[in-house]
Amino acid sequence: MIKEARDKLAVLLQGKVPDALETEHCASEEERQLANLLNELFTYMQEVHQFIVPLSQGNISDLTLPPPRNFLSSPFKELHSRLMHLTWQAGRVAQGDYSQQIDFMGDFSEAFNKMIVSLDRNERELKIKIAELETALSRISQLEGILPICSSCKRIRLEGADPGQQDSWEAIESYITAKTQTMFSHGLCPECVKALYSDFT
Amino acid sequence: MNTSQPTRTFSWESLGDLQLGRPNLGPMAPVLAYRLMQFTLWDVLIGEFGPEKANDLFRRAGNLAGKEFCHNLLDKNLPFSEFVAQLQKVLKEQRIGLMRMERVDLETMQFTLTVAEDLDCSGLPCTDEVVCQYDEGFIAGILEEYTGKVFHVTETDCWASGARVCRFSAKLIGDAPRD
Repeated sequence: MIKEARDKLAVLLQGKVPDALETEHCASEEERQLANLLNELFTYMQEVHQFIVPLSQGNISDLTLPPPRNFLSSPFKELHSRLMHLTWQAGRVAQGDYSQQIDFMGDFSEAFNKMIVSLDRNERELKIKIAELETALSRISQLEGILPICSSCKRIRLEGADPGQQDSWEAIESYITAKTQTMFSHGLCPECVKALYSDFT
Repeated sequence: MNTSQPTRTFSWESLGDLQLGRPNLGPMAPVLAYRLMQFTLWDVLIGEFGPEKANDLFRRAGNLAGKEFCHNLLDKNLPFSEFVAQLQKVLKEQRIGLMRMERVDLETMQFTLTVAEDLDCSGLPCTDEVVCQYDEGFIAGILEEYTGKVFHVTETDCWASGARVCRFSAKLIGDAPRD
């Protein structure tokens, strides 16, 4: 039995999982107990191997977890748990939930949490920019189209108003102020100064 | 003299004012104290009622604690994922454990989550058993208080069964009974 056990341990150390040792023909009770313990070790290694290989390939959702009591698998199960948690949180963040935080996962936690803060800030800034642009766009659209204007005094005719009525016509300054909230200050250009006040020039 | 014990009904206020009562030591206590009480109580309950009944009592106590915890420390009006983020944060702040949600199916109301560094069992020797019955009840109580429905929570992995985190599976089993 000792030789068979040695050969199987050698197989294990070569990265393969050996078949179980025969326990029926053990020479003593101690040998049988040793064989059972080795078989338990082989089973554990088999379970770990079957679990960790697909995990290393990124297949985390449909894995069969090693059964409880397989102590050798516990760090891998913890890793799997964290990957599952990350996957769920990443999914939530992808849907715009920036309340998620990763706890105690070293550099990864810091990077992930910074990313969430950054995404949150960028989205809020983007929303503000979009709102500003929408406001500007609405003002532009208010000035679009063909404006009926008096050729002489430059008053604007109010939309849908009777052109024959004087109060249908509004000064261009008040019209633009009402549409765009732009305020006017008044002055005279040199040509008008010359035309109006030629005696003073 | 009336020697009969008064009937106790838990209320959050019965936890007392810790700021007033522990101005120097503060609200936190070592896990040692928690486990000392937990495991001695468990021992007595098992001796008195047997393991099955003792586990059930622990589960029921955990359930009541979970409901009160949720009612008093959590915002139940948050959407589910934000509620989970809040729960994770509060459990960490209160040093109860590091909760990590793994799977959520809101259609069937089934959840898988883990709790690392938990109060009950982290670091226990491997004894091939799950020992977090109180936590099973605690998680069920939180979910029940939040959803208004009844959950069955089972611990599928535990430090004491050889894992490094405790994993819980929660399943909806029905509507909460009306008061």
